[in-house]
Amino acid sequence: MKGTSPFVFGVLIVLGLIVFPFYWMLVTATTPPDQLMIETPTLVPSFTRLGVFVEVFSAVPIASWLTNSFIVAAGTTVLCLILSVLPAYALSRFRFRGKAMLALGLFVTQMLPEAMLLVPLYAVFRSLELLDTLTGLIIANAAFGAPIVTWILKGAFDAIPQEVEEAARIDGCSRFDIVMGVALPLVAPTLAATAVIAFFHGWNEYLFAQTFINAADLRPASVGIAGLVGEYAVPIHLVMATGIIYTLPSIVFYLIAQRYVVSGLTAGSVKG
Amino acid sequence: MASINVRNLSKRFGAVTVIEDLSLDVEDGEFLVLLGPSGCGKSTLLRILAGLEAVSDGEIEIGETRVEEMAPGDRDIAFVFQSYALYPHLTVRRNIAFPLLMKRFRWWMHLPLIGGLAKRRIEKSPEVADTVEDVGRILGLGPLMDRLPRTLSGGQRQRVAVGRAMVRQPAVFLMDEPLSNLDAKLRTSMRAEIARLHARLGGTFVYVTHDQVEAMTMGTRIALMRGGKLQQVGTPRALFQEPANTFVARFVGTPPMNLIDAAFSDGMLRIGQAKLPWHGESRGPVIVGVRPGSFTIHTEAAPDRIAGKVSLVEHLGTHSIVAIRLDDANVLFDDDQDDSSIMVQIDGYSELSINEPVHVSIDPHEITFFDHETGERTATSSVPLGAATV
Repeated sequence: MKGTSPFVFGVLIVLGLIVFPFYWMLVTATTPPDQLMIETPTLVPSFTRLGVFVEVFSAVPIASWLTNSFIVAAGTTVLCLILSVLPAYALSRFRFRGKAMLALGLFVTQMLPEAMLLVPLYAVFRSLELLDTLTGLIIANAAFGAPIVTWILKGAFDAIPQEVEEAARIDGCSRFDIVMGVALPLVAPTLAATAVIAFFHGWNEYLFAQTFINAADLRPASVGIAGLVGEYAVPIHLVMATGIIYTLPSIVFYLIAQRYVVSGLTAGSVKG
Repeated sequence: MASINVRNLSKRFGAVTVIEDLSLDVEDGEFLVLLGPSGCGKSTLLRILAGLEAVSDGEIEIGETRVEEMAPGDRDIAFVFQSYALYPHLTVRRNIAFPLLMKRFRWWMHLPLIGGLAKRRIEKSPEVADTVEDVGRILGLGPLMDRLPRTLSGGQRQRVAVGRAMVRQPAVFLMDEPLSNLDAKLRTSMRAEIARLHARLGGTFVYVTHDQVEAMTMGTRIALMRGGKLQQVGTPRALFQEPANTFVARFVGTPPMNLIDAAFSDGMLRIGQAKLPWHGESRGPVIVGVRPGSFTIHTEAAPDRIAGKVSLVEHLGTHSIVAIRLDDANVLFDDDQDDSSIMVQIDGYSELSINEPVHVSIDPHEITFFDHETGERTATSSVPLGAATV
């Protein structure tokens, strides 16, 4: 197939741009520290030094960091979805006064930089005694993630044929039954996609974690790894090794979720 | 089974009135067809009966129970949508079982795992599983029961939709143009299937269509609507033979009834230059309605024949449709038409050619008279006929 060659070539270039930094992390992590600054760096990872990934677990509390990151990311995902499903359905299906303003308001929250809200949020969290807790971090992340998840889910609910829900009403479903039993299964692919977005949001978040968490045992990986960079020395192979370990769970989560990110689930419901 | 009584029903969307002061009774076990052109309010009326639209004014009784405030699920009705509206994530079996599942549904069945197990248990219980299996067998869905809707053809999906309506054994079946998405051949077979279903189940059917063939062949009665108002309610035969007004006359029948300006004077019915001897009181201007099959085409002129020229000939196998532009008679036609020809139906293959001069006579037993001002029917050949040999 001659026509596909330029396309394949293009895809390979893009793939290279994305994968190369990760590959370079692997090379750097497995290169002995004294050879990191030489003029001609090696391009091949040293497989004899894969032990560095074990060494990391004793050198830094990465297990604790990853656990905290996972709690924050999973909590953010669950809270985002819980907070978003019913508002998204309401914005999609109900007519009420101020609906357009509410929808716009949700959108506007995405325009505010997190740094701008850091100080007021800190004050609120202090009064609510949510500082230095993972719960506080989950709430802060979900507050920023939920609007975008709501918008995406609203789009998915919009695409469900009205007749399918009307059929459910005639079959005896309440509105809540329709959301849970008919609408949610139909937006499952979008739900999976938004779960990925929310999870990554929670997993990668740095600013709130750095500001709200002081206790060492509550640090998530994003803050922990950044803390490895010292004023006088940077254990670059450790930073890279922890970086790779930090990346792996999110890739695994994506691979699990992407199975459900399939389109065309509503095909066949109505004539189209 | 149940009767439906609609009293003084009105429906407004903002400033637009879609249905105005409509009253209609549907008898127990009847197959009533709501017929009318697009936008006449027939689908809105059906959706109001189903509870999918709220009423603005008026009362609705289904089986002597007032239902205006009732949720759709509590009205003991089933609804078949034009677009099938199947649940795309459920197999045919689970689609059909869904209404039965909802009858026994409890809130906690929304919970993951436990809820799923409970729902499966209901679906597999003998009373649900056997009923679903029976419905599937009746509709010929046996081999398709475990397939998803997206893998089915249009006709199969429509059968699943009908199955989902049948399974709950409702008092009233409401169908909103269920065959309009099917091809002509499938439509004919599904038409017969739905008529058989009505005979078998004996429920009250209200069936919306804009297709008069469906209405004429399926309905025990037809309610013809226009602009949110009922024009006539009656048997298909009554609508065809005794249309209440010129709209009904033009809507029912293919080709539609021809409407021609005429006048009574001096014991004659004058249509253009033609004079038909007519006994009875002289009543001034009228509109005469003549079905295409009630004309006879001649080549020779006569005083009681209307002269014209052939403008179109359509051969349809068993019969031909000949359009004739009359020389001096005023033919009334619909807003969406631009041709004032009359349509004449003759048996067999017509040898007439375009622009050929012809003379048509009218069977005096087959004339319907309409008021010239209001368009309401005044008589159907009820005026004593003279010795006219037309």
